[in-house]
Amino acid sequence: MIELNTIRPYFEDKPDVLDEILGRYPEYGRRSAVMPLLWEVQRHERYVSEARIVEIAEIVGLTATEVRGVMSFYSTYHGEPVGKYHLQVCSTLSCKLAGSDEMCDHLEDSLGLVPGETDTEGLFSLQKVECLGSCTTAPVLQVNDTYYERVTRDELDALLDALRRGEMPTPKRAREGDNAQLGAAPLAGEAFEAGTAADAALADAEAAEPENPEGGAA
Amino acid sequence: MKIKVNEVELDVTPGTSVIDAVFAAGHDVPYFCSQEYMSPIGACRMCLAKIGAPRKDRATNDWILDEETGEPKIFWFPNPMATCTTQVMEGMVVDTISKDVKKAQNAMVEFTLVNHPLDCPTCDKGGACELQDRAYEYGSGESRFVFDKRHQEKHHALSELITLDRERCIHCKRCVRYFEEVPGDEVLDFIERGGHTYIGTLEDGLPSPFTGNITDICPVGALLDTTSRFRGRNWEYHHTDTTSLDDPSGAALRIDTRTGRIERIKAGLNDDVNKTWIDDGTRFGHEYADAEDRITRPMVRRDGTLVETTWADAAREIAERIAGMDGTRIGIALRGDATLEEGVAAKALADHLGSGRLDTAPRPAASVLPDGAAATLRDVATSDALFVVGDPTEEAGIVDLRIKDALKGVEPAPLFPHGPAIADLRLKERMPRKREILTICAPYRTDLMKHAGQAHVPPATSMVDLLHALAERASATVDGGTPSGAWDDALGMTAAEADALITRMRSSTRGVMIWSAFVSNDPRADEAARTFAKSVGAKTLILGPMANTAGLERISVLPSHDRYDYASMFTPETKALFLASLDPAVDPKVADRLRELDLLVVHAAFPTATSALADVVLPAVTGYEKDGTTLNVEGRLLPVRAAPVEAGTATDFTGVVKQLGEAFGTRLEGRSVKSARRVLRKLLDVDAAELPTTGQPLPPVRGKASGARAVREYARATGDALIVPSMVRVEHLDRNPHLRAERGDAALRAHPATLHAHGLTSGDVVTLPIGGIPRQLRVTASEGVPEGLWLAPTLPEQPVGLYDANLAAMVRERSATAEVA
Amino acid sequence: MSGAVADKPDTITSRHDPRFEVTLYKYVGVEGAHTLDAYLAHGGYGAAKKAFGMEPSEVVDLVKASGLRGRGGAGFPAGVKWSFMPPVDGRQRFVVCNADESEPGSCKDRYLMEDDPHQLLEGMMIAGYAIGATKGVLYIRGEYYHAYERLRDAIEEARQRGYLGENVMDSGFDFDVILHRGAGAYICGEETALMNSFEGLRANPRLKPPFPAQAGVYGLPTTINNVTTLASAVHIIEKGADWYAAMGTDDSKGIHHVQISGAVNRPGVFEVPMGITYREIIFDLAGGPKGPAKAFIPGGTSCPLFPFDDEHLDLPMEYAAVAKAGSMMGTGGLIVIPEDQCIVDAMYNVTRFYAHESCGKCTPCREGVSTWLPKMFQKLLAGLGTPEDVDLMEDMVSNLRGTAFCPLADACAWPVQTSLKYFRNEYEHLAQHGTPLHPRKDRWQS
Ligand SMILES: Cc1cc2nc3c(=O)[nH]c(=O)nc-3n(C[C@H](O)[C@H](O)[C@H](O)COP(=O)(O)O)c2cc1C
Ligand code: SF4
Ligand code: FES
Repeated sequence: MIELNTIRPYFEDKPDVLDEILGRYPEYGRRSAVMPLLWEVQRHERYVSEARIVEIAEIVGLTATEVRGVMSFYSTYHGEPVGKYHLQVCSTLSCKLAGSDEMCDHLEDSLGLVPGETDTEGLFSLQKVECLGSCTTAPVLQVNDTYYERVTRDELDALLDALRRGEMPTPKRAREGDNAQLGAAPLAGEAFEAGTAADAALADAEAAEPENPEGGAA
Repeated sequence: MKIKVNEVELDVTPGTSVIDAVFAAGHDVPYFCSQEYMSPIGACRMCLAKIGAPRKDRATNDWILDEETGEPKIFWFPNPMATCTTQVMEGMVVDTISKDVKKAQNAMVEFTLVNHPLDCPTCDKGGACELQDRAYEYGSGESRFVFDKRHQEKHHALSELITLDRERCIHCKRCVRYFEEVPGDEVLDFIERGGHTYIGTLEDGLPSPFTGNITDICPVGALLDTTSRFRGRNWEYHHTDTTSLDDPSGAALRIDTRTGRIERIKAGLNDDVNKTWIDDGTRFGHEYADAEDRITRPMVRRDGTLVETTWADAAREIAERIAGMDGTRIGIALRGDATLEEGVAAKALADHLGSGRLDTAPRPAASVLPDGAAATLRDVATSDALFVVGDPTEEAGIVDLRIKDALKGVEPAPLFPHGPAIADLRLKERMPRKREILTICAPYRTDLMKHAGQAHVPPATSMVDLLHALAERASATVDGGTPSGAWDDALGMTAAEADALITRMRSSTRGVMIWSAFVSNDPRADEAARTFAKSVGAKTLILGPMANTAGLERISVLPSHDRYDYASMFTPETKALFLASLDPAVDPKVADRLRELDLLVVHAAFPTATSALADVVLPAVTGYEKDGTTLNVEGRLLPVRAAPVEAGTATDFTGVVKQLGEAFGTRLEGRSVKSARRVLRKLLDVDAAELPTTGQPLPPVRGKASGARAVREYARATGDALIVPSMVRVEHLDRNPHLRAERGDAALRAHPATLHAHGLTSGDVVTLPIGGIPRQLRVTASEGVPEGLWLAPTLPEQPVGLYDANLAAMVRERSATAEVA
Repeated sequence: MSGAVADKPDTITSRHDPRFEVTLYKYVGVEGAHTLDAYLAHGGYGAAKKAFGMEPSEVVDLVKASGLRGRGGAGFPAGVKWSFMPPVDGRQRFVVCNADESEPGSCKDRYLMEDDPHQLLEGMMIAGYAIGATKGVLYIRGEYYHAYERLRDAIEEARQRGYLGENVMDSGFDFDVILHRGAGAYICGEETALMNSFEGLRANPRLKPPFPAQAGVYGLPTTINNVTTLASAVHIIEKGADWYAAMGTDDSKGIHHVQISGAVNRPGVFEVPMGITYREIIFDLAGGPKGPAKAFIPGGTSCPLFPFDDEHLDLPMEYAAVAKAGSMMGTGGLIVIPEDQCIVDAMYNVTRFYAHESCGKCTPCREGVSTWLPKMFQKLLAGLGTPEDVDLMEDMVSNLRGTAFCPLADACAWPVQTSLKYFRNEYEHLAQHGTPLHPRKDRWQS
């Protein structure tokens, strides 16, 4: 309670942000704003403290208990701060079959952390998470909000080095099937010729450029 | 519709849940998450059964027949179904006993016990635990779960009054749903998810006036009434089913006693009145009855000090001292929670003495009986237009809950032979509430206002004007006329709001107007309220200040003349006084007057300021120890039954009259409960001895109510302190340690700005003379109090209303900061 | 199934059929395809325009005629679902897009949203028009931040240029979309839990009835569909119901998106006609298993698994045939399990997922799935199990089947139950020897 009096409300100086979030939902659905408000706070403070829970409850017209009940239901809201880089290793079946167990071991060794921990500098947090929806591009490592897919050992080491330097590299897009990256070399032993997505897409994208009907910036 | 439960054929109303059909068929099915009067949610999966039903051919609309039997073919659901969330269908067949079903039931018991500590020997719920019973009846008796159970907090104080054992919780969600569905205070919720789920709160304690009910409905020993923890085993308790004398709602109670002590109070079932809920004041307010300083024997003053004696001696002493006294100089006053039988006794005593100075206190200036029949609590619960003037939450908590029923808009279901519906499928979690049907006016922001469509907080001084203005407007528009507009300034709301209220009440067929002592204490306000109700065609419910104020008025425990009312008893005309459970000496000026009496007889359960001045003190029983009858707010006669509490030779007022009669050498009516009931039968045409626990409506009086005092020219009420009703009876607070720990000292509430102006902080304890009575109160900041006004809870000697606070004489007894340090 | 093409030469059941063309995924993976301009350049929002020229009921009928079934897992006919909406009565109605995609093995929706968000918005708009909903709710799982950004920007762009908002494309129809992020809870994919989550409540599933059409979001009439279902509507309107129905089999028409992962040479998402065999998917599209395989899960981990044998490989991918063989089409998230993977370890992995994701509302799921079953697996894998433990697991899993409040407990029980059926020897080996038949090996490719 003492904390509440001394901490400045998060949304006090952000009426626009607050209005935008509340404005997304109909008046009778004000409660829907709970999740985006929690996200907003967490994105900037890397966790949601009790004081913020109380603040959000007041904004939405709920009890703090209800907001806590909602927040704690979800696995990606944090009640404690996480490191600057929150490394989340997907460990569900497809990733496991692609080596995520080993990838996690490697991270534990490299960082000297076990899943659930944050290093003393507050740089890295390591966590095992459940299926991230990257099964065909497994194994996947999520760093904060960014997915790094089909990560190899070398790539992981390079990624860690970059993060230590404070850089977030642009993730590669190594995919196959109909969502193969534009321009990817056809795979050896292509089972069929006609109508691969990549070809069609290439043709269409080229065709699209010059005749942009709305004339807007492409 | 016709259905079949394990070969029993029966007829049920469409919409019935299968679980109720099973019970109606005389069979049993175990359940944990379902709970009477709450939404069925199908969470515990304990009530699984095999269910099938015939089907109609889409093309022909005929039943599809079984080739072999020629009967409609039964199509079984592929999985066992939760009977609590399934509705009956024509021709449905339910199987709760076959091998498959048993296996499923067995499995559910096994799953339920996975994380349950099985610490029954040390659990207060042991012997009255639904899980224990069901595990015994439906479990396999052995555990295949060999792992460590989930370890969680075992003695978590959710509040001072409720202790949570998180290990025992089986996640039935009754408690969480209760808070949302019944009082509408969402102060408890599940935290985390899956196997980690537990219940908890982020509020400070459990800020709701209705928390204790969760200890009744928790199917296991997870939620316990802290006041009764470790006090006894369930099979050692003696149960007394009775009626609460705490407030006029007449809630059913079950008092559990052991070796002459009240160990706890639980809610009783009265479908028409309180369903199975009671407020926290009623539940936790009983510890005083077991206080150490109970008066257990009569005392008479000898040489200035009170000494114990026998009843016969004390009575003789009284008889001697009033012999030859002018009867009209003797006064008799009962507290408003006396039973009708005590009222009869007091009347007999007054008649015998020839005194017209008989009254009950506190008693409002206006009658608390309605013109004609009162609205019943069921009327309130089914109303579609409610207008409340006052603070029902604090005055009669059950009325608050029934108003909240109305907001859900679900008609109460009829009772089954097995009781209320176990799963009323019309009730849902988070039902939309029809707030727009509720309008509230009160001189401060009340708890109930957050549920209201319209809430108005007029200045305390202008409540009467507001009602008058509304009544004018309503009367003027009865036949489509136009209001004069002369009173518009006094409305406290816009004319459009007033018209909307009037139209809503008038166009409704089930409109109810509820008012409280704020109104009754001013006869003009009362008259306006009655006029308003009549002109919009609303039934009325008048909240009396005490449990039986209305009943005592109904049997005319009243002064023969206004001049002889309670207040007049403290004038020099009076020579002798009989005061039952009243403590007027808290007012020093009255105390001075009492010293001058020739005889002061005090009937009390505890030493008080008044008993200290008495010539004779007679030991009284508390409301938990009386046999008798009370009349609740809706005009229902209800039985009050005595719990076996060890209180020496204490009696109720009929006992006093018995002893006095013997000393006078005459047999007075009302000298026992039985004799009083003979009188009641003549007065009310009811045999009070035969009342069922759920009571019986009393036909209304014809014509004008009797208790109203003559409307004199009342001065407009003024003052800066408002005495407000309180669910927690502050006169007992000192002897209720747990309740006091939860609620703190009685509160003096004021707006933060008001406190600031007087250099006070929340938590300071002050003594402030209000209306001449020094009140020791804990200062509490509240935005809901208008600036400049001070709110203090009522005492029997200080009824609801406006008083002058002597702020200059305020003394700070303790400061909040000192306590923190 | 080999005969299907021959018997019905007018239907397409193979990617080898030259008439098959990738449609929904045509622009997925294409750089820059996510912008409104790129979308418009290839005729984007044309289908919506076309739909606005029809009666809403005609749109529903067209979708019914196409045979499109829900791609979120349950496979309910989309047009039929749309027709369940009550008559218009002035109340707000909602079309909800279920973009919570959390079923292990599934990722088709993510790619589509990341690379072709307008296709989804157009699909929602068409559905909204058909059912009379002027508001769309797009509930996307919280982890899909890139897709969220793409959708957020696409919605903004569409609003600015009149493709969302009041009177879209001068049609007289209002339509806008509320984009809502989840926060890591698989159960939010269950449609009623999703609605609770959207409303700011704990995401427990709700009782049905009432069904969403009667009382969905905020208690108002609602239709909920999966991302791919809604996107399919665009092409059905554009190319006609016949075009769609020409693909697949009588039972299962149209196209699906198989997401193949696990031990195959070329994991990926493939748009395929219904009725294609698992053999064709695994061998021709995904380049065959990487080394010997022993099992595959046809539609995400919530489905019973199949042994990797001819009988099951030759199954056509259609709802009825897969169900008859004892499993489900699910989301089309196909996972191939290699021979050298300990099945107990794999099933523990699956169980752990459901244990983590159980909402905790009902007893069997909270205590069975979320607590007891994972402990049994741990005991076994730690080498402390006994043969009786295997029997106990089998019994417990059978007790979980069909007893829970929602299908999540079944989803956990199914794969485990079938693994016990087909690979009981591996469980027994562990119980007897304390060591797995197939020890752990490094699966991380460098
Ligand atoms: C536990 C559970 C998880 C589910 N997850 C998803 C999901 O992530 N995405 C999805 O579209 N449907 C999911 N579903 C199915 C939905 O409940 C619903 O059937 C579907 O969104 C309807 O859309 P459709 O008819 O277009 O398939 C899930 C169902 C269950 C029981
Ligand atoms: S504490 Fe009791 S009432 Fe509440 S969920 Fe647990 S078992 Fe049910
Ligand atoms: S599921 Fe709990 S009583 Fe029916």
